[in-house]
Parts: sequence; C-alpha cells; structure tokens
Amino acid sequence: MFAYVVRRIIQAFFVLLIVMLLTFSLPYFQVHGIRAPAYTVLGTKATPYNVAIWAKQHGMDHSYFDRFWTYATQVLFHFNLGRSYKENSSVWGIISLYVPRTIWLAAVSLALTTIIAIPLGIYQAARRNTVGDYTATGVAFVLYAMPSFLLCMLLLDAFSFHGPHLPNSPPQGVQAWAMFTSPEGFILPVAALTMLSVAGLSRYMRGTVLEVLVQDYVRTAKAKGCSSRRTLFKHAFRNALGPIIVLLGLSIPALLGGALIIESVFNYAGLGIQTVFAAENLDVPTVLGITLLVAILTLLGNLLADIALGLVNPRIRIEGTKA
Amino acid sequence: MTDLTERERVSPIEPPDPPTTLSTDDQIVPMWRQRLRIFFHNKLAVASVVFLFLTIAACFLVPVLHPTNQTNQAATFGLPWNAAPSWHHWLGTDSSGFDELGRIFYGGEYSLTLGFVAGFITIVVGTTYGMISGFAGGITDTLMMRLIDAFLSIPYIFLLITLIAIFNRSTVFLICIIGFTLWWGNARIIRGDALLIRNLEYSQAATAMGARKWHIIRRHVFPNSISNIVTVATFSVADAILFLSALGFLGLGIQAPQTDWGTMLQAGTSQIQNGFWWEIYPLALVFILVVVSINYIGDALRDCFEVRLLER
Repeated sequence: MFAYVVRRIIQAFFVLLIVMLLTFSLPYFQVHGIRAPAYTVLGTKATPYNVAIWAKQHGMDHSYFDRFWTYATQVLFHFNLGRSYKENSSVWGIISLYVPRTIWLAAVSLALTTIIAIPLGIYQAARRNTVGDYTATGVAFVLYAMPSFLLCMLLLDAFSFHGPHLPNSPPQGVQAWAMFTSPEGFILPVAALTMLSVAGLSRYMRGTVLEVLVQDYVRTAKAKGCSSRRTLFKHAFRNALGPIIVLLGLSIPALLGGALIIESVFNYAGLGIQTVFAAENLDVPTVLGITLLVAILTLLGNLLADIALGLVNPRIRIEGTKA
Repeated sequence: MTDLTERERVSPIEPPDPPTTLSTDDQIVPMWRQRLRIFFHNKLAVASVVFLFLTIAACFLVPVLHPTNQTNQAATFGLPWNAAPSWHHWLGTDSSGFDELGRIFYGGEYSLTLGFVAGFITIVVGTTYGMISGFAGGITDTLMMRLIDAFLSIPYIFLLITLIAIFNRSTVFLICIIGFTLWWGNARIIRGDALLIRNLEYSQAATAMGARKWHIIRRHVFPNSISNIVTVATFSVADAILFLSALGFLGLGIQAPQTDWGTMLQAGTSQIQNGFWWEIYPLALVFILVVVSINYIGDALRDCFEVRLLER
C-alpha cells in the first residue's frame, strides 16, 4: 500500500510540473508578448520607456528558461507564487483570503453529492425501467443540459425573489464557517452546486451499479437465498464502491469549475470570482497562481480517490505493493 | 536488402459476384442498415434528430427569409423596450428593443455554428492524438498521456478564461480556443480503443501477414472505434455549446453587436426580477431542448453501434 501511494504521489508531482510549464508558457503567446499586461497596469498610453522599466522590474528581461527556473524554484521551495501585477500584494496574499471559502463550498457540496448520488444510483439500478428511474434520469438529463448559471437563476427566482425569500447572496466578509452557524445565505449556492454535480454523476452511478448487478456473484448470492436487500448492500454495493470512489475523485475538476460559475452568480467571494477578475485585468501571476492551486486540488482529489480505492479494494493494494 | 513486406502482393482471385437473387433484405442485411434500424426503433432519438434539424434550419433560414433588426441599436430608437409579447413581436422585445423571437434564431446561428465546428475540430484532433499515442506505445505513449493528465487536472473553465484573457475574443478565435482545448478527454478514450483493438487477434493476424501500421489503423482500428468516435463527437458538440454559454454569462462570449445564446440568457437573467419572462424562458427552453436532443442522439448512436444489439 505504501509503495502504491508513493508511486502515485511521484506521478502526480510530474503532472504538476507539466501543468506549471504549460501555464507558465501561456503568457508568451499574448498578442504583445509577456509585456502585454504593462498596458493594463500603466494605461494604454504608456510610453515604451515606461513599459521597458516595468518589464525589467518584473524580471522580463531574462530569458524564458531563466524565468521558468526562478518561477519553479520559488513555487516549489519557497511556496512563493510571485507578486500580483495589479494589486500591491503577493499572489498568495490575495488567494489565501478566498481559498477556504471555495474549498468549503466545494467540500460541503461534494459531501452532499455523495449522500444523494450513491443511494440514487442504487435505487435507479435496483428499480430500473420503472417510473422512478425514468423520472430521475429525465431530471438529471435536463439539469445536465442546462447552463449552470441558468439553474442558479431559476433557483433564485423560485426561492429568493419569490417563495421563502432566502438571501440571494451569502454574507460577505465572514469566515466560511458561517455556513454552519447561519446557513441561510449559503443554502442556494450549495444546493445549486450539489444539483449540478449529482446530475453529472447520476448517469454513471446507475451504470456502475447496474454493471455489478448482472455479475455472476450477485446471481449466486440470490440463488443461495440472500434477501434482496442483503444482496444489494452486502454483495453489489461493496463491489460498486470502487468505481464510485473513482467517479467522485474525477468529478473534482467539474466541481471546481461549477463553483466558478456559481460564485459569479451568487457573488460568493471565492477563487472563481477572483480568477475572472484577474483574467480580465491580465494579472498573469494571480491567474497562474490560482490555476496552479486548482490543479493541485484536483490532483490531490485524484490521489485521495486512488488511496481510498486501494483501501476498499485489496487487489489494487497488493498489486501496488508488488510493483 | 529487400524487405519481404515491400513485395508486390499477389492479388487474390476475385470471388465471383454473388447472385443478385440472394441479396434480398431478409438474407443479407448490411451492417449500416441494421444500425439504422436500431436507431429508428428509438422514437425519442428520431424526435431529437427532427427537432435539432428544424432548429438548425430555422436559425439559418429565418434571419434570411424574415430579417429583423438585431444589430443596429440606433434603429431601435422609439421602439418599446422590454415589451410584452404581442401580435407584432411574438415573443416581445428585449432590453435593447430587439425582437426576441428573431434574436433567438440570430443568436442560435452563432451558438450552433460554434458548437458544431468546435465539436468537429475536437474530434479530429482528439482522434489523431489518441491513435498516435495508442499506436506509438512505450515512452511516447506515456509522455503523451501524462500531458493529457496535466491538461485534465486544470478545471476546464479556469483554463478557458485564462486563454480568452490572453488571446483575441473574435468569433473565429473562440471556435479555435474551444475546439483545440476540449479534445483531451476524447483523446484518452480513443487511445484506449486503439490500444485495445491493436492487440486483438485480427490486428495481430494482419501484422503477422505483413500489414503496415497505417494499414492496420485504416482498415481495423478506425472502423472498429468509429462507435466511440461518433458518440464522443456528439457529446463534444453539446459540451462546446454549454461552455460557450458559460463564457457568454461571464461576458467573455461572442462580442456585441453579435450575440449568442449564452449572452442572451445572461441578459435575460438580469431581467428576471422584473418579471419579463419572455426574455428568458422561451430561449431557455430551446437551449435545453437542443442540448438534451444532442445528448440523446449521442446515447442512441452508442446503442446502435453496440454489436450485441444487432440482429436481435
């Protein structure tokens, strides 16, 4: 198990290096090269002299490789993501304000998704081709086909502008912990994100459980006289758990991407809003920092899913130890 | 040195044409006709195709046959803004005074064109990459797949926003940016297919008989992975339309005076509190139905390529 985890961590590390190389190289493709942000910082009428000074201040007179080496060593050994072009602050200073809020939003939604999607998948597979199954599939299909901001607006229309008049935006400037102490403002964003990720997952969930239900060992369990509930939970569910965990792990990029739109709709100050804001201002270090952080979160999620998979599935655990 | 595989192949004796009386419908049913039969058996899929076709036709024909002003803001002066549906404006007007029904078709032109072109680019690039990776094997394959892992670990919308901030926002660039960045998942699926089929007995037999790699790709791998290619392409079109709408919501979509469904929905959602339902619900319905039918066609196509369902 330990060797397996170590190998996965090394793999994730290499993927992270590639991500860093890719995101670092992107600004070189701007229309005016890496100096393009100078015009958004200094104004469109900046003289070439001022631009040159600004570029020198930000180390742009060094070669590509020099700059990447500095960037990579600063990030990896000093956890220093650089300084924002636009704000008078380090990138980490900007991000650290918003990271907990986004992580809490995503984590609570992921927990709720797990609680809803797994029983739903089992229900749909066990009662397949019934009215309940068709309804769930239909709702998921429509939710999946809907732009996420439209779902948010419909929720706002139904529960905030009319009906129970929930707050249309979570309170600003409070810790994300407020989600548990005064949850009213957080209900709609969390509900929207949960609905989106349940819709995205439920089709695969049903298929996963269904695939297990047609296996020989399930038939054997039924044949030896197992009650249908015992068959479902003791034999089928245990075996479906592996693919389900992988699905949940792989859903993290979609979850964080959905969080970006939802943060914009509900004005939930998090990483997503900050990305849009920084991208519009060509604040390259902030965008790179957030992208890198989000990639790390994704890789971490995949890693945890792999480890959890190893824990529930002894075959993978043993294979990993041998290799 | 002569390579045995480079020899002129002796052309096999042509089998005599089967008597035409044999090839009646109930004896030899061509594969494509069986597949078509399965597809047409699925009534919802047929309905989806019809709906999609009608929508595309309407989006491209109505602005030509019955042009409404959708770009000239000056010409809307004096016209009612946010007017409720009436005989003159079937779906009312939007907050700039443009006819809403005409605008749905007008915006659809951009959304659908972008969706289909980006979906096409996606599948061409994804298939090529996946096939090369699956066939190269070894260190090339590993490197190519790690690159895909890296791409996939950045949530797509974050990357899209970064790219759009960096590059131009013209329509052509939007198509290219979405088309050339949405193929990573597809490449992984196609690569899995290529790897699987390459190692199947018939490919190995072809290799043993001296077939070159290109021949095996063309005659064995490609035809046998076409089901996944077509299905994945269909879903890519739906994804491209959805991502474009998300960009429209963030104000990064197609720029004024042109518009697309995402930008229109965004404009409509800002009027939702005022109760101007005609600015959002008709378009939302069309949008959802289009994406649902594309996804449904994808599902039905996957079913009709499923060999186990043939000749049931």
